[in-house]
Amino acid sequence: MRRAVAVSLAALAAGLMGSMAPARADFWSDAGAKFQGVTLHGVTESTPPSNYIKDVLAPEFEKKTGIKVEIETTSWDQMYDKAIKDMEAKTGIYDMVYIEQDIIYAYLSRNFLVDVTKTLKDDPSLKAPDFDESHFTTFANYFKDDNGNLFGVPMEAFIKIYLYRTDLFNDPAVKEAFKTETGKDLAPAKTHEDYTQIAEFFTKWGKDKGEQLWGTTAQAHTGHPASWYEFFESVAPTFGVYNWGIDTSKNYAASVANGGSMNSDKSKAALKYWLHLRDIAPPESAASTWTEVATTFAAGRAAQGLVYGENAAWIASDSEKSKVVGKVGVALPPVEPGVMEEVEAGKGYIGYYDGGAFGLPVTSKNKEAALLFLQYIGQDSVQSGWAVAAPRITNTATYEDPGVKDMDAKLGGYYTMLKDDGKLFAGAPPYPFHAQVREATASIFYRILTGEVGPDEGLDQMAAAAEEELTNLGYRK
Amino acid sequence: MRSNTVGWLLLAPTLVILGLFGIMPFIYVLYVAFHQWNPFGFSPDMIYNGAKNFRRLVFDREFLLSLWVTLKFAFFAVTSEIALGYLLAQLFTREFPGKAFFRTIHTLPLIVAPIVVGSVWRLMTTPSIGIIPYYLDAWFGYELNIGRDAGAAFALTVIMDIWHWTPLVTLTLLAALVSLPKEPFEQAQIDGASKFQIFWHITLPMIRPAILATVFIRLMDALRTVDEVWMLTGGGPGAATRYVGLHIWKVVFPKTDYGYGSAISVIVLYLTLVMCWILYVALVAPRDRKKRTS
Repeated sequence: MRRAVAVSLAALAAGLMGSMAPARADFWSDAGAKFQGVTLHGVTESTPPSNYIKDVLAPEFEKKTGIKVEIETTSWDQMYDKAIKDMEAKTGIYDMVYIEQDIIYAYLSRNFLVDVTKTLKDDPSLKAPDFDESHFTTFANYFKDDNGNLFGVPMEAFIKIYLYRTDLFNDPAVKEAFKTETGKDLAPAKTHEDYTQIAEFFTKWGKDKGEQLWGTTAQAHTGHPASWYEFFESVAPTFGVYNWGIDTSKNYAASVANGGSMNSDKSKAALKYWLHLRDIAPPESAASTWTEVATTFAAGRAAQGLVYGENAAWIASDSEKSKVVGKVGVALPPVEPGVMEEVEAGKGYIGYYDGGAFGLPVTSKNKEAALLFLQYIGQDSVQSGWAVAAPRITNTATYEDPGVKDMDAKLGGYYTMLKDDGKLFAGAPPYPFHAQVREATASIFYRILTGEVGPDEGLDQMAAAAEEELTNLGYRK
Repeated sequence: MRSNTVGWLLLAPTLVILGLFGIMPFIYVLYVAFHQWNPFGFSPDMIYNGAKNFRRLVFDREFLLSLWVTLKFAFFAVTSEIALGYLLAQLFTREFPGKAFFRTIHTLPLIVAPIVVGSVWRLMTTPSIGIIPYYLDAWFGYELNIGRDAGAAFALTVIMDIWHWTPLVTLTLLAALVSLPKEPFEQAQIDGASKFQIFWHITLPMIRPAILATVFIRLMDALRTVDEVWMLTGGGPGAATRYVGLHIWKVVFPKTDYGYGSAISVIVLYLTLVMCWILYVALVAPRDRKKRTS
């Protein structure tokens, strides 16, 4: 009898303890219960990672929570335009907006976004068990304020890397010809001089052989910011010109005379180098943005180029869209002597760390439901499948997934490079005036591209224009 | 008196809509035009700065250049559209095999959104990929590259606009032509007038209102074109196709310089009205003076 009573008490205790434990397996259905019938609206750039959200994650989330999610995918320009108009006008159309890394500072300066960290802390009932901010890669730091609070859930991250054609670089005939012409062994370039020689060689090779092949891509659109970005975020840093040549600690100086470096000798050398490459790039380069650079490389029209990681991945692996699958190698961008040492010392970077996050506008009419969705796409368990389907990694554990490792091999080691060398790259400088300064100088940059203004004179004008704009905006005194 | 009251009551809804969506926004833009306002500035507040924005644009090289290229664009595009539209309208007044099919095909560009027009033309004109550069190179040895050749880029935007909007002109003028009475033409033919004389002294004067309306509509549209040009060239190469509408867009949205952008908008509206008035005086006033004299 005593034994029977003891067993009963133990069973009761176990039952009570069990009932007190959170029902983790039912979190999504429980959390979504009070939002039945709600439809969330998001706007994002039409990219593979975003399409994965739209086609896979959103339906899964709806199935588990009962909350419908409609994701609008569009062009980069339209996405930005729609998002900022909505938030600025406080119309509350969008519950989630894609935040490109380079625009986060502008959004933060205008208090457009909900503080994810604070909101989850204030309302623990919304906290998903599988969502942990500390599991994000360092890329998440770009979406944090000075207090370390997160304002956007990272959803894609890429580095702009140096792609080269392994089929060409390993071709015995090509290697022999290159050796004969330059006296060097053909290998991915580590310096600008090497890169230029390789580019010149392959442009000549293509011409001599009657092939549609040029030595390098060039993101040199003469009327779109893509060209401006390629120069300031991917080329100039490799010459030691960082943060667009603007020094905020010297009264936001851009010109050398005032303490900046936008028109420094290094910057001018970088621009001349890049313009030369543009001149020996495929003819469509003068109208190429990042999209056209990718399609040019995928079509087999270039031997090497600087390509955004989001495109490098499908170029290397998607045979339906790329003619060079299995023929792509990845390498770090070429740099001037001394730059790598500066970068490793934490004083610079060698290229652009691109990507974005999903943010929650303060104007959203469904903040709590939207926050659930942001956690859903940020949780650990969805990351590996996402990384395989749409090559991007924002979570530290993803690198070790077997599927991801297989994908890494297909991508020529791109994921390994992202993991090991991502720290050498940097996103856009923390400028809330990002678009303003870009536009103030872009028209002059385009005139440089058309040859209307020389590179030296043009950069001098750009530095002056940047300082004038910063003065107008009130940053420079 | 009662009739006036009823009339105003009937007009009231339209006037309210016009006031809400036309006049009020204009007044607001006019107000902003006298302020310095950039939400991404160190201070996001609106600061009254008098006529500074208007003084600034007088010396703004980029604005003046965009204005100049816009006027060129409008002149070539609208002139060509009127000429081609009239010829096509005359053609459609006659019977010929396949007329219905051709007329249908001809009007299709009108139903295409401007942004789509720009996309299609961009695809057709991309070097090494587009069909137009391909055949120009194959047939004439001309390497079209709108990313480098300012003249080619400008010409293509004009051609694109002509392709897109000529059908509108055609339909408008066709409606005018088919509504003309036959008697004057028959009488002129009997009197031995030549085709040119008939065109100049009978057809043209009788369809003048339609032409005038069409010119005004097309001119105003040409002066504010943005979508298709932005998609085709982005305003490049350099600023060769940065028409004033696109310039305003760049100032207002990426740069968020609302004060200055508003000032530009006001000035462009003023210039548009002035140009329309000049056209009106040039095309309508002579006839009015002639009537008064006789």
